[in-house]
Amino acid sequence: MAGYALYVLRRFGQFLLVVFVGINIAFFVTHATPIDPITSAIAAATRFSQADPQAVQMTRVALRELYGLQGSLWEQYVAFWMRVARADFGPALSAFPTPVSTLIWRALPWTFGLLSVATLIAWGLGNLLGGLAGYYRRNVMLKVFGVVASGLQPIPNYVMAFVVLVLFGYVWPILPITGSAQINLAQGWTFAYFHSVFQHALLPVLSLVLVGTGAWFIGMRALVSNIVTEDYVTYAELGGVDHRRILLSYVMRNALMPQVTGLALSLGLIFNGAVITEVVFGYPGLGNLLIRAVYAGDYSLVIGIASMSIIAVAFAALVIDLILPLLDPRVRVA
Amino acid sequence: MIRKVLCDFGERPTDRRRALDQILKTLALAAGGLALGGQALAAEDFLAGIPRNQVLIAENPEGTVTDPSNFNLWVPKPNGTSTGLQQLCTDTLWYIDPDQGLNNQVWDNSLAADKPQYNKDFSEMTVKLRPGLMWSDGVELTADDLVYTVQTLMADPGGFNDGARMAANVDSVSATDKYTVVFKLKKPNSRFHAAFTVRWSATWIMPKHVFEKQAKPSKYDFNPPVCIGSYTLKSFDPNGTWFIWQKRDDWQKTPLAHFGEPGPKYVAYIDPGPPDKRVILQQNHQLDIVHDTTPEGAFALIKSSPTSHGWFAGFPYAHPDPTLPMVVLNNQLEKFKNPDVRWALALLIDIKAVDMASYRGAATISAIDVPPTGTYPHYYFDPMEQWLKDFTIDTGKRTIHPYDPNMGQEIADMLRPSMGDAIPKDPKAIAAAFGHGWWKQDPQAAAELLEKAGLKKVGGKWMLPDGAPFTITISTEGDNRPVMTRAGSLIAQQWTQAGIDSKIDALPTAMWANMFNGQNEASMAWTVETWGGHPDLTFFLDSWHSQFLSEPGKFQPPRNWQRWKDPELDKIIEQIRSIDFDDPKGIELGMDFIRLAVKNMPNIPLMSYNVFTVMDSTYWTGYPSAEKDPYTDPVPNWANTKYMMVKLRPTGATSP
Repeated sequence: MAGYALYVLRRFGQFLLVVFVGINIAFFVTHATPIDPITSAIAAATRFSQADPQAVQMTRVALRELYGLQGSLWEQYVAFWMRVARADFGPALSAFPTPVSTLIWRALPWTFGLLSVATLIAWGLGNLLGGLAGYYRRNVMLKVFGVVASGLQPIPNYVMAFVVLVLFGYVWPILPITGSAQINLAQGWTFAYFHSVFQHALLPVLSLVLVGTGAWFIGMRALVSNIVTEDYVTYAELGGVDHRRILLSYVMRNALMPQVTGLALSLGLIFNGAVITEVVFGYPGLGNLLIRAVYAGDYSLVIGIASMSIIAVAFAALVIDLILPLLDPRVRVA
Repeated sequence: MIRKVLCDFGERPTDRRRALDQILKTLALAAGGLALGGQALAAEDFLAGIPRNQVLIAENPEGTVTDPSNFNLWVPKPNGTSTGLQQLCTDTLWYIDPDQGLNNQVWDNSLAADKPQYNKDFSEMTVKLRPGLMWSDGVELTADDLVYTVQTLMADPGGFNDGARMAANVDSVSATDKYTVVFKLKKPNSRFHAAFTVRWSATWIMPKHVFEKQAKPSKYDFNPPVCIGSYTLKSFDPNGTWFIWQKRDDWQKTPLAHFGEPGPKYVAYIDPGPPDKRVILQQNHQLDIVHDTTPEGAFALIKSSPTSHGWFAGFPYAHPDPTLPMVVLNNQLEKFKNPDVRWALALLIDIKAVDMASYRGAATISAIDVPPTGTYPHYYFDPMEQWLKDFTIDTGKRTIHPYDPNMGQEIADMLRPSMGDAIPKDPKAIAAAFGHGWWKQDPQAAAELLEKAGLKKVGGKWMLPDGAPFTITISTEGDNRPVMTRAGSLIAQQWTQAGIDSKIDALPTAMWANMFNGQNEASMAWTVETWGGHPDLTFFLDSWHSQFLSEPGKFQPPRNWQRWKDPELDKIIEQIRSIDFDDPKGIELGMDFIRLAVKNMPNIPLMSYNVFTVMDSTYWTGYPSAEKDPYTDPVPNWANTKYMMVKLRPTGATSP
């Protein structure tokens, strides 16, 4: 027990170090970009409008002060960490003075909903069918499914997104292809709203599931194919144990351990957003927000999203590392 | 049951027929499920609670608005202005149409009762407002609103987009009666009124009674917006993907009313996503106005959908905006300082190939530093044609006439075999659609000019006078502006083929910033933007005066990003400043500028910014068009879009 406690402390220290280093990298990389948010703001304001050159010079100076971008890099770095310590990433430069955290919390539920559902469906479907395919190696339908899943898996997300979009938005237009809910439908805890959200999520989820299922299927099939050759499985079969019981309790249960680890990591990666899927379907999640922040040179917002993603992934890894020794006695902590 | 289903997989099919049976049953089940599910899913209308034939749906090119609940468009980087906010809600003193204008009047006194009145030396401007105009909350617009707007902007130059402009120009502003405002300027400025004159946008008037209650107006979100325009905000997406505006019941008390009643009861601005989706949405009749799409997308849409059409009934379909894409050369770099070098680069370009590569033939070319749009063919292109034909260059070895007046015709002839009747035959129509002439591609003359400038060709590559290789990097916006990127790629190819090693640097987000900071060599951008409907060139030209030119490598404010300096240019600008906005002498001075720019070639003009706006006539009719009724720009992010509302009428269709 003492060994485990020590392990927890050590591992938590690693987590803090990873987060600290990750956020620092995000800060310096975004500040190293040649995109100056002040120049971006002026370019956006003057690209189609008349501009008084003298006035523009005055605006530059004033904006630098307003956005808090005056001072050396070190001064900005210290000010940044003082704000982060209060969980404040400052105002978004592309939506000044709206705080970065407000924009992130607004987008997060959409990304979380979309990706968690897609990930769980892909994981569940892939592991179920992969497990069956690994055990019932002669079944034709499972073989066909295996070929289809393996074929779809390497297809890039953006290609699959456009395929389903064209198929169900144009060739057979039965599903909405843009937005998170019906236009002019008030947000609220109503059946109509949830029904609309469900409909609008179908295509993005479908595109992610079609591509994502293959990897889980292949992995689970390989794991099960190995496990069925284990002595204890052979012994159970020879002993006349029911095939159903062997499949579920002896084979799939053991094969699931690494897949559960993978699932936890995948769920952590949700906070990266699915940039291409969200842009293609106009889904208002973190990926969409991130791409707009990058184009606008809004490094406050980029750092905010990146930091949250770093914390989420590191936390997911931490949780797995802490739980695994408790579940699997073969894992040693000291 | 789950266990049984799972373990049924374990049954080994005894023959192929049973295996096939299993597969077919599964597929049939899946198809049936999809069909039933599809029927249930198809029930949702595109919009909730609004009949489709009462709403005009337009694309918002800003995409998803980051903070949609903030409607303060006076701040330096407003969250969303093309959401319908500047088109339908806000308003200002005057509008100049980029095309012919309603009732063939390019100039509209919108909130103002009359044109701006200047004193003799342009140090004072008087504005009279139209009485009886009401804000959407029932308060009348008065001189106090205009005074308040200017004073508020001046007081916080960093907090407001036009704050610094007001602070730099205005000494004092006051209301002399309920509808009259007098501006006293810090220095004479015959074009000060341009600040309140819409060409796409302008300084909007704030409702004093709303903003004065705020502790810090620049931090106020102006939600819901109080409008002076004919529409008010009905609803918006908290995620920023759509905004719906509703016609005011008291529309007669809004500035647009002197043209008539707006047609659409509702106007929705939406983010439709990537170009492919815009095409799909319009084909499904769920998007009435596509703001812009790729040339290929526009051609496919117009061909496949009988109700979709562009600005031109035939090719090139697109609306030529009064903006002039060009190769912007950094004249402060040593290698571009000599006009002979710049001319050589121009003569190496095959504009027909660039047109085909970029716009697939749908470009309106321009050889001179004004866009071939709006009223400019009449004011500048037609009068300049003879001068251009007569214009000569001394290559050092001979004298050439570089101008080919038939380039537009040649492009039309090139396209006719594949596009058939979509290509006009009438020479005037061809000139309007494809442009007049351009410079003949002449590699021999280009080589002579380079030699005249002291360059040498060694081993097939050009060397600068100092012996270094002559290389050029052309910056583009990459996927953000694919048309210009394609043009730039081909130009780089043509220069490389001639012995000048050139490459593309795709910078989707940094190209403009680099240009501002003088870090570019050549850029596929634009430094010329004009009113379109009015011949005055100061919209861009005034900023080209050398008083505003920065040192090499330093921030250059808009718009002299070619960083060109010429005493003759300064003289022209100073003369324009001394005359009235409507003085015909302005056109003569404009032509002097064009001649000077042709001789010096500080940038290489290519074509107008053709916007592939596609309109769907299923639910609405009365859109502007080049041939029938060019009353305004159809591109829906322009504030001038408000003029479309009084012409659009429902077709009566209830479904596609």
